[in-house]
Amino acid sequence: MKSKASLPVSYRLAVTSRALAAVFGGYLLASLTSICMAFWLPISRADAVVSAMMSSFVFYLLAVIWCFACRSAWRAWFGILVPSAVLATLAGVSHWMVQP
Amino acid sequence: MLLALLLCYVGFTALCLSTDRHHGELLHSKPSPNRRLALRLAGWLLLIVSIWPAVHTTDWGQGLVEWCAVLMCSALLLVLLLPYRPRLALILAGFSLLASPVAAVAIL
Amino acid sequence: MKEGFRQAMAWLHTWVGLIFGWLLFAIFLTGTLSYFKDEITHWMQPEVQAHPLDNARSLAMAQTYLQQQAPNAARWFITLPDSRQPGLSVMWQDKVDPGKRGNFIRKRLDSLAGSEVQARESMGGEFFYRFHFQLQMPYPWGRWLSTMAAMVMFIALITGIITHKKIFKDFFTFRPRKGQRSWLDGHNAVGVLVLPFHLMITYSSLVIFMSLVMPATIVASYGSTDAFFDDLFPATTNAPALGQPAPLLALGPMYDEARRQWGGGHVERLVVNNPGDVNASVNVIRAGSDRVVHDFGSVVSFNGASGEVVRVSTEQSLPMAISGSFYGLHMGHFAGPVLRWLYFICGLAGTAMIGTGLVIWLGKRQLKHAKTGVMPFELRLVEVLNIASMSGLMIAIGAFFWANRLLPVGFVERSNWEVQSFFIAWGLTVLHAMLRRGRQGWVEQLSLGALLFIGVPLLNALTTSQHLGVSLVQGDWAMAGFDLTCLGCGIFLAWAAWKMQHRAVAQPKAERARAMHLKGGVN
Repeated sequence: MKSKASLPVSYRLAVTSRALAAVFGGYLLASLTSICMAFWLPISRADAVVSAMMSSFVFYLLAVIWCFACRSAWRAWFGILVPSAVLATLAGVSHWMVQP
Repeated sequence: MLLALLLCYVGFTALCLSTDRHHGELLHSKPSPNRRLALRLAGWLLLIVSIWPAVHTTDWGQGLVEWCAVLMCSALLLVLLLPYRPRLALILAGFSLLASPVAAVAIL
Repeated sequence: MKEGFRQAMAWLHTWVGLIFGWLLFAIFLTGTLSYFKDEITHWMQPEVQAHPLDNARSLAMAQTYLQQQAPNAARWFITLPDSRQPGLSVMWQDKVDPGKRGNFIRKRLDSLAGSEVQARESMGGEFFYRFHFQLQMPYPWGRWLSTMAAMVMFIALITGIITHKKIFKDFFTFRPRKGQRSWLDGHNAVGVLVLPFHLMITYSSLVIFMSLVMPATIVASYGSTDAFFDDLFPATTNAPALGQPAPLLALGPMYDEARRQWGGGHVERLVVNNPGDVNASVNVIRAGSDRVVHDFGSVVSFNGASGEVVRVSTEQSLPMAISGSFYGLHMGHFAGPVLRWLYFICGLAGTAMIGTGLVIWLGKRQLKHAKTGVMPFELRLVEVLNIASMSGLMIAIGAFFWANRLLPVGFVERSNWEVQSFFIAWGLTVLHAMLRRGRQGWVEQLSLGALLFIGVPLLNALTTSQHLGVSLVQGDWAMAGFDLTCLGCGIFLAWAAWKMQHRAVAQPKAERARAMHLKGGVN
């Protein structure tokens, strides 16, 4: 591990940014995939919610891996927020379609 | 569970012997391609066959759990024995192989 | 880019492993101990007598007791004894204003006489069980933290698998006596060989608390968690009290009927809602140990005043069976004695995987600073935390057991003080680790741990009449097993302390030899 002096601030900022994307963005993405799965699975509501929650952690894992495997911190956020926006929109549409 | 344990242990030993490195350590020779294939097949076969005694005595749910537990612990035992008591590891495998038919008869 | 991916995952594995490693070590160790929590409780309350099981009688006793002590409670809980847990325990929840959680009061009864057991107050093995998911923090923060740790563990496991390039080639590889290489081999061995268990235990712990940590799904679909649980477990929606008194029928026939419905299945618990009301409901809950797949909803409900069956829970749906499988596999209720020991060994392997990881993290970086002899603050911090979270935790556990035997039996606050002894001892080990240099810290703490654990059976012999000489003869395997396991643990800690001491001695000698050689070379 290099001594403190030689790690540039930009590196530390990038790591922090990726970490925030992974922790909070990942949770957001996991929650949204779970919400969408619960809406769209063709099984009873209770079963759909249970199945969706059980699977959500895999999506959280994938989001975290993405945040640290991708080439830059910007890509990390992009890869989290764009799918989140898409899923949120679809979830919203599904929700309002169900409610007359 | 005993028969499953014996079969798993022998199976893992066979798979271990099928690698160049461990065959060299344990038997002080390089395995021929035929022997390597035979050991590998035998090893996998024994591991798969060991599922049967585990589920035969209880139901599939309990049986599979017991099989997994036995699988993991037999591998752990082998890997811990290998560097410290390689001869004992082999002797145990031989003993397990001989004891398996006896244990099988006890179940049936 | 492939190389970059593996490297990135290795980086992630190393850092999340470090930051959460200390907490995860504690969770894994206390969780592993929890597989024997009933046996630990038995050792810690030697006064509780195990009688041959007679559930009909125990149930009648419990009902009489509760009718006398808590006739106006909101709910009664009766947990029947089984082969591992000899106690009959009852609990009731006081009636309070709606919306508030009433107080829960627990009592242990003698399973044959029905009177309160005069055993020393102690949390017993329950302490380790509750600690491993609540972390001694108020609800719900402890569960949040432990579930976050579980998510980190999941990430650490998967990144570890990705990083381990030679996972098949090195499957059987363990090379001792080679320093850092051996530690890494050991870490890989306990990781890979027991991987099915580690993945199961980690993912199942996420599933167990998924309603707590992923509520968005529930709220989006149902609007509230209450609505969700009502839909999921219709058997637990109980009729509200009507306010009209009606005597509660004997519970025995309801117990028998439930067992008949389950084809001879076992009963774990009965919950009576609003006893004494005309709308009293009795839920007879099936034992989790009946099958691997835990069925949360396996309940037969009766009306308490009329005795008629109100509802029998139906076969679980597939998603519920899957989540039940995760729960059942994690808890291991169904495990017999041999399988329980295998669970224990696998749990220890997981604990060792985390511990070796922490040691490797520091060891690799310490090498770079070995020449200067001065450790930068960050590494020193890691060293202190390593020592305190591993050998320190062992000392805390030992202190917990010693406190159980040393605190006076009649002392009212003794249960709290046992727990406090655990944390005080742990805190002191942190201080000790800060004051002593690395190697010395390890050696001294491991030695103290060894003394404490080897001392447990001796202490038992000195303070009770249930020592090894008696328990082995009587066939009380829980009692004897506890003493013997502590003895074994103590011997292991003593060996570890000895190994640490000898490595500490060897190093300076090598340094001196090298220094002299250099001097000679210069001259």
